[in-house]
Amino acid sequence: MGQDEVLTIRGLRKRYRGRRGVQANDGIDLDVRAGQVVGLLGHNGAGKTTLVNQVVGLVLPDEGTITLDGIDAVARPDEARSRASIQAQANVPISGLTPRLAIELVGRLRGGHRTAVRARAAELIEALDLSPWADTRAEKVSGGIARLTAFAMTVVQPGRLVVLDEPTNDVDPVRHRLLWQQIRRLADDGAGVLLVTHNVREAERVVDRLAILDHGVVLAADTPAGLTASWQGTLTVELDLLPGAAVTWPDGARPRGSDRLRESASIATEDAAEVVRWAQHQVDQGVIERYSLVPASLEDVYVELVGAEHAGASAEEVAA
Amino acid sequence: MTAVRQTLLLAQWQFRRQSTFLPLLVVVQVFMAVATVVGYGLLVGDPPPEVALYLATGAPTITLITVGLVMTPQLLAQSKTEGSLDWMRTLPVPRGLFLASDLLVWTVLALPGMVLGVLVGAARFDIELSVAPWLVPATLLVSMTAAAVGYALASVLPPPLANLVTQMLVFVVLLFSPVSYPAERMPAWLQQVHEWAPIEPMAQLVRAGLAQDAFAISGRSLLVLAVWCLAATGAAATALRRRA
Repeated sequence: MGQDEVLTIRGLRKRYRGRRGVQANDGIDLDVRAGQVVGLLGHNGAGKTTLVNQVVGLVLPDEGTITLDGIDAVARPDEARSRASIQAQANVPISGLTPRLAIELVGRLRGGHRTAVRARAAELIEALDLSPWADTRAEKVSGGIARLTAFAMTVVQPGRLVVLDEPTNDVDPVRHRLLWQQIRRLADDGAGVLLVTHNVREAERVVDRLAILDHGVVLAADTPAGLTASWQGTLTVELDLLPGAAVTWPDGARPRGSDRLRESASIATEDAAEVVRWAQHQVDQGVIERYSLVPASLEDVYVELVGAEHAGASAEEVAA
Repeated sequence: MTAVRQTLLLAQWQFRRQSTFLPLLVVVQVFMAVATVVGYGLLVGDPPPEVALYLATGAPTITLITVGLVMTPQLLAQSKTEGSLDWMRTLPVPRGLFLASDLLVWTVLALPGMVLGVLVGAARFDIELSVAPWLVPATLLVSMTAAAVGYALASVLPPPLANLVTQMLVFVVLLFSPVSYPAERMPAWLQQVHEWAPIEPMAQLVRAGLAQDAFAISGRSLLVLAVWCLAATGAAATALRRRA
């Protein structure tokens, strides 16, 4: 284990008992280093939340080890909690408080000094463009603002490990960017960031490494470039069909799925020019509305690894 | 030092989160205390001095117990349902402090009702109190035990069930406990139950603290109360520490 290893998980297993026993984690290995943003990708029920809950000692693993900043997190959950800060998937209810007060109180609860916490809270409020709502009662702020407040509460006094579970949910596109900047800064300032998400497209742009989780197992873990390496030389063609139209792909295109008025297929890079000609012809014929050609993305890798049924749901969530 | 600081910060968090309802909660407490004195007074007519003293010194206990046994578990059940408990448990705060801060909040909230209950009782029945110097720690012990039992209840039971049980407990405390009337009036079996339950010792302790010339508390009762306090606090702390 290197000096800058913040989180090391080996062989983590957890089964929930009960009538329908669920093997939530089935032998997970995962590493997060200082200065890294590691994405943990997986559909609902892949075991992401169970994993996080074990790191902070809310859930007891059946097997495996969790080392957090040099501490055995399974044996010493108290110590682990002082080294990690968590943004849960559900928003923390803060009715009765204002965003600023909630951020400051959590910062001080986490051991921050009053003046330092106040300054840091003000800085986060500014950076996330929360000022118009910072001193409004929480009952009156929108879901997106509540989400950003929860983020600020997590990072006002960050631990060595910062776990963010779907931090961008409900957040508007402009503040998405501000949020990503702050997440990047956390890592640049030395924290290890574990970013739990099922938003494949967005994760691709921010993370240093990615682990794809399915049925409690890490299917692949690498840099985004490493994960897409086997897809080099491949392009994805996306078509928007006109209502009622059906498309017949040219030879060499491997259809990848369809979704109402959208179809996509993989093609070899050298066929690109020919496919563009074909697609333009389809537009002229009134079969498709428009087309686009994009490099193979993580989403393609994800689909291949976890299967199309889950990825379909994930893609819709991305679009939503 | 850190523990005290964190307890106060947690208490501040709870206080402010309830701030919309705080005035209402205090009003309900006050109403409860006054209703116990005045309402029971109506039930029993014009009571002789001993009965009146019993009533007036039982009312504050009723306030303390209902806050601990009803308000505390309801707040905990609510934070379980809305998900804030799980999030708070991810904070680097020793588990016992969650309990301590809740106890602090509810004890402070119960105080106005308790004090007013005593004053109204003394005025209504025209009685002389003889306050013992240890009344304040005694009150804290009662308040803490009640809240710890409530906390343990809500930790162990699923939220809807916890709410139901606490509602039921209000009736037990108000009508079927030797708080506002002497134990001799109850059936023998119920008297025996109360010898081991925490309610009677709580009432005895507060009564002896308010009118030490007229009442005393036995060592046995104090022991029963202490055991309940420790057991409930332990159970609540264990529940907070439990990992799924």
